[in-house]
Amino acid sequence: MTEPAEIVCTGLAKSFGATEVVRPTDLAFAAGQTTALVGPSGCGKSTLLRLVAGLETPSAGEVSIAGAPPAETLRQGALSMAFQDPSLLPWRTVRGNVTLALKLARQPVDAEAISRLIELVGLGGFGDTRPAALSGGMRQRAAIARAMVTRPRVLLLDEPFGAVDELTRQQLAEDLPPLWEARGATTLLVTHSVSEAVMLSDRVLVFSGRPARVVADIAVPLDRPRRASLSTDPAFLARTSEVSEALAAGMAETRPRLAAQ
Amino acid sequence: MNAVAADPAPSRRVGAFVEPLLGLAVILLGWELAARVLAGTFILASPLEVARYLAQNTGLMSRALAETLGNAALGFLWGNLAAVALATVAILWPVTQRTLSGLALLVFCLPLVATGPILRVLYGPGDGPQVTLAAMAVYYTTYVPLLVGLRAAPSSWFELIRSYGRGRGSELVHVRAMAALPYLFAGLQIAAPAAFLGAMVGEFTGAERGMGVLTIRAMRALDVPATWALACTAAAVSIAAYAAIGALARALTKAPPPVILASPDTSGLRRNKPILNAFITLVLALALWWGAMAAFDLTPFFAKRPGDVLEALLLAPDAAQTRTTLLAALGETAKLVVPGYLAGLALGAGLATLLTLVPAAAAVAMPLAVSLRSVPIVTTAPLAVLLLGRGPAGTITLVAVMVFFPTFVACLHGLRQAPGQILDVLRSYAAGPVARLVHVRLPAMLPAFFAAARMGVPASVLAVTVVEWLGTGQGVGALMALSASLSDYDMLWSSIVVVALVSVLGYAGVAWVEARILSRYAAEQVAR
Repeated sequence: MTEPAEIVCTGLAKSFGATEVVRPTDLAFAAGQTTALVGPSGCGKSTLLRLVAGLETPSAGEVSIAGAPPAETLRQGALSMAFQDPSLLPWRTVRGNVTLALKLARQPVDAEAISRLIELVGLGGFGDTRPAALSGGMRQRAAIARAMVTRPRVLLLDEPFGAVDELTRQQLAEDLPPLWEARGATTLLVTHSVSEAVMLSDRVLVFSGRPARVVADIAVPLDRPRRASLSTDPAFLARTSEVSEALAAGMAETRPRLAAQ
Repeated sequence: MNAVAADPAPSRRVGAFVEPLLGLAVILLGWELAARVLAGTFILASPLEVARYLAQNTGLMSRALAETLGNAALGFLWGNLAAVALATVAILWPVTQRTLSGLALLVFCLPLVATGPILRVLYGPGDGPQVTLAAMAVYYTTYVPLLVGLRAAPSSWFELIRSYGRGRGSELVHVRAMAALPYLFAGLQIAAPAAFLGAMVGEFTGAERGMGVLTIRAMRALDVPATWALACTAAAVSIAAYAAIGALARALTKAPPPVILASPDTSGLRRNKPILNAFITLVLALALWWGAMAAFDLTPFFAKRPGDVLEALLLAPDAAQTRTTLLAALGETAKLVVPGYLAGLALGAGLATLLTLVPAAAAVAMPLAVSLRSVPIVTTAPLAVLLLGRGPAGTITLVAVMVFFPTFVACLHGLRQAPGQILDVLRSYAAGPVARLVHVRLPAMLPAFFAAARMGVPASVLAVTVVEWLGTGQGVGALMALSASLSDYDMLWSSIVVVALVSVLGYAGVAWVEARILSRYAAEQVAR
């Protein structure tokens, strides 16, 4: 890691009541890098993302973004989060939903730039359409446009392609990442898919079952832009099998407990 | 008329228009026939007599209607503004929510018939009391659904707002306000007839002009056509207002948010201490009462303070006498209101359940019930007195009808909420309609049933006190009427306090049963 760390987690931990969700963790994320967080369902990676976004208060430790608490970054409108569910407001059109992010982030509304962005995510001609009339994949595209329109320094993606079918997912994973990579945001991406994690990121963090603990930290030094054809490349396959093995090892830690239940 | 029915498909539009007209014609024909049979009994005026009366007294009736409508409209405005303000405060400062809701319920449970005369002496001459009573009749039925609506959004919408560093104000503007619109309109729809009812009750209890005044006069003169003409006008206006707001709602909420069970936003409600909450609410209510009387420097002769009521009930030389009189009156009222309330609930839930077994009948009954629900039943109290006499039957029937319609409509809606996939699971085991009813539909109906049962408590107290005030000469309603005419303000205030407290306790009792039963049968809906 040559870049300076943008996001630093120190001794970060989170419990809900008696349930420990994130074990005390030290993590650093370099500016402009994309990091994928991979782990079994319910292992606490989404909670980690929400801690970084300041949406949860840590039970112990702290998060700092560019040397300040997350709240500061939020106040500057310099962070965007995309949720597993597109979470578009149904009474606003695509353009209205994208514009809302600018208003919330207290940024000037540039109608032309919004149109360009809507075009760029592949929703040209649908700017004045309400979410109910869009397909699942189109809603995800609109949600990504909303997340990117504020040109955030920090982009948090919580399974952004989780709620769509496999074909749409592949299409979105090919179309959208170049857009946010080009903008140089420090990106954290939660995903279930090993190949998606390797395809999209510069670094993959593999988590154990709950409470979340990092079991592997794998660099992905593959060239960009990455196309779907990369998925048969030996270097790519080597990384995915490395991630898969780490994932299996992490899950094995929790398996005896499951068997005992 | 069927304001709530979904947009009909183009091919059905003609039918949707003809069916209600046909129904109306059948009702009018039956009514006319019944009136002919009962001719000379001073009970029922025929539609022709009503029409003739309206034609002959157009000037009088339209002046009275304009007066009452004006009061109702002002009350509607103020009451709903109060509801929106209260709900907004409760959402922006969740800690205040329980206390606010408790106070709002307590004020809603004040018996309107007794509040009327007191407001009259407080305000002096004018429309103040009618407007205030109309406002008091509407704010709670708007506040409750609005509070649900303001929370009815997925948590990720709120997180989106917070991820840009914005707080509750932005949540309110960008998410809650829009998500609450359908709920607000549902409340406003019910509020329209309620405002008319409140204005008329205000006029029952001593105004100079308006439909309520004409009603009292017609009753005293045993002018049957006039009584019926007034009740029919009140019903028609209420149905029209209900339908108009329904149409407005459909026009304005083009992209309604999905109907979502309230998100489990328990911030501020986490420490659930019902006794402490009730105590805080009570203390605050007493302080507000005392403060209002002191702030306006009202004379203690008619503007009693909490201490005066306490003294009248417990300390004064004639306190024992006051208590005996009040308890006896309450006992008489209880004998009417409890059977009426239970019968209304049982009939409403029972008929709705029966109708799901015969879907074709439900399709016909729904629009009829919805339009009848929008009739302010209390304004038809004079008819109940005419039809069923001044004995217990008339009063019990009126209370039952008052509770029946909202319960019936709520239960029909609730029964339709049954999750389709679970019904399919039962179908895949060849379960019959009864099994589907017992295992899926009835549990799905419970929340709606209990919501209606809770609101039925103050509604039936209102109905029983109005009938007693107007006609029967028995019970706590008559006691309040007598106290008002004798200027016995100690007794009047004591009755108000005791009736309001009993209503609140009844409401809380239903809520207690609701919480116990729903936690077993509909756990996911208790989360809020």
